[in-house]
Amino acid sequence: MDKTYIIENGVLEQYVLGELNSSEQRQVEDALHQYPELKETLESIEISFEQLGVDNSIVVPDFVKDKLLNKIKEDTKIKMVSAPEKNYKTYFAIAASIAGLLLASSIYLYSELSGAHNELEIVEQENTLLNESIYDLNSSLSEVNKWYITINDPETEKYVLKGNDLMPEARMISYVNDSKKSVVINTKELPELDDQHNYQMWADVEGVMINMGIIDKSKDMLAMNYVDNAESLNITIEPAGGSDHPDVSQLITNIYLK
Amino acid sequence: MIDEQILIKRLQNKDEIALSLIYDNYAAALYGVIVRMCKDEDIAQNLLQDTFLTIWEKADSYDVDKGRFYTWAYRIAKNKTLNFLRKPSKLIQTDDFSVYESKEQTKTSTDDFLSLNGKIASLEEHHQKAIELVYFNGLTHREAHKEMDVPLGTFKSYIRQALRELRQSYSKVISFLMILIEVVR
Repeated sequence: MDKTYIIENGVLEQYVLGELNSSEQRQVEDALHQYPELKETLESIEISFEQLGVDNSIVVPDFVKDKLLNKIKEDTKIKMVSAPEKNYKTYFAIAASIAGLLLASSIYLYSELSGAHNELEIVEQENTLLNESIYDLNSSLSEVNKWYITINDPETEKYVLKGNDLMPEARMISYVNDSKKSVVINTKELPELDDQHNYQMWADVEGVMINMGIIDKSKDMLAMNYVDNAESLNITIEPAGGSDHPDVSQLITNIYLK
Repeated sequence: MIDEQILIKRLQNKDEIALSLIYDNYAAALYGVIVRMCKDEDIAQNLLQDTFLTIWEKADSYDVDKGRFYTWAYRIAKNKTLNFLRKPSKLIQTDDFSVYESKEQTKTSTDDFLSLNGKIASLEEHHQKAIELVYFNGLTHREAHKEMDVPLGTFKSYIRQALRELRQSYSKVISFLMILIEVVR
């Protein structure tokens, strides 16, 4: 609202009398802020109305003031009495908030804890597996060492058994140490058999075939029973579980010892 | 007399003594307005109490930059009275109100009692009437100009002229008082 408009349209009078709506009122207040001289005009209007009011005062009976002051005292008392309750409420609210936070953090920590438990369990399982692996590796290592020591012994003789017409692709290496009375074989090049059959190894001692054991194909290196005075090593295919006497028709390879 | 600004600060800080002093300063003037609007002293007394309860509770919302304290209090009193008069159930409430204190004690309502005093009484009749309608009867400018059957612009100029005359006479009184003070010194 423009200053001249305000003055010429009696807007300030209406402002003092409280006739303006809130947006008009705000516009007048903005204008008062903007034009300090308007504030002077306003003040003179206010003083005139105020003097008019004072001139037309009517004496108020004393009890009206007494009632007013009593009422205010009562209200203050009620507020003072109810104030601690408010405080309790506040404290209760604070306590409840803290309890809530504690509960929430407990739940969080508990879930974290059980998460950690789970992780720990997994780690323990992994650890067990690793230990088992280490054990396996160690035993493999000691086995390999054993084989190595056996094979590398100067007393050890190496014999390569080659498959006959029955199984020409078959190869098997035998390491025989007479001083240590040990026989170790490498089964890697022996073809797989079906479930019903095994390879079985025999030692020929003066025309008699003596059982050296069933060849376990699941292992690459295998120790067999040492037989004294063996003249040759023979491998036959026998029914699963092995036989007491070899089926010579199923002989796949043999080699004479030195 | 304690400076009004300090008094208002104390009121805003919930000082009951400040309220008591402010009541002493303004109650009679506001009561004069309320009685002339509702024309019933019992009702006016309750409305006055209500006005001061609001002044007490809402003191914080008074802003000295937006006008004088009396203006603010006047608007509260006027609104309370208008709201009461506009209430459809006001008759029932009137009965309730009058239970509080004996009626005879305060019932003096006559035209004489409500007639205007002070400088306004010496103004021209149409100026007097215009001021009375907006200030003591609570009419808006728009309602009042119809009541007086003059155009709104004319009515506004009545108000402006009336206020100017009031101001002149008040400043005469003030000048006279100043001279008197000088003389006494």
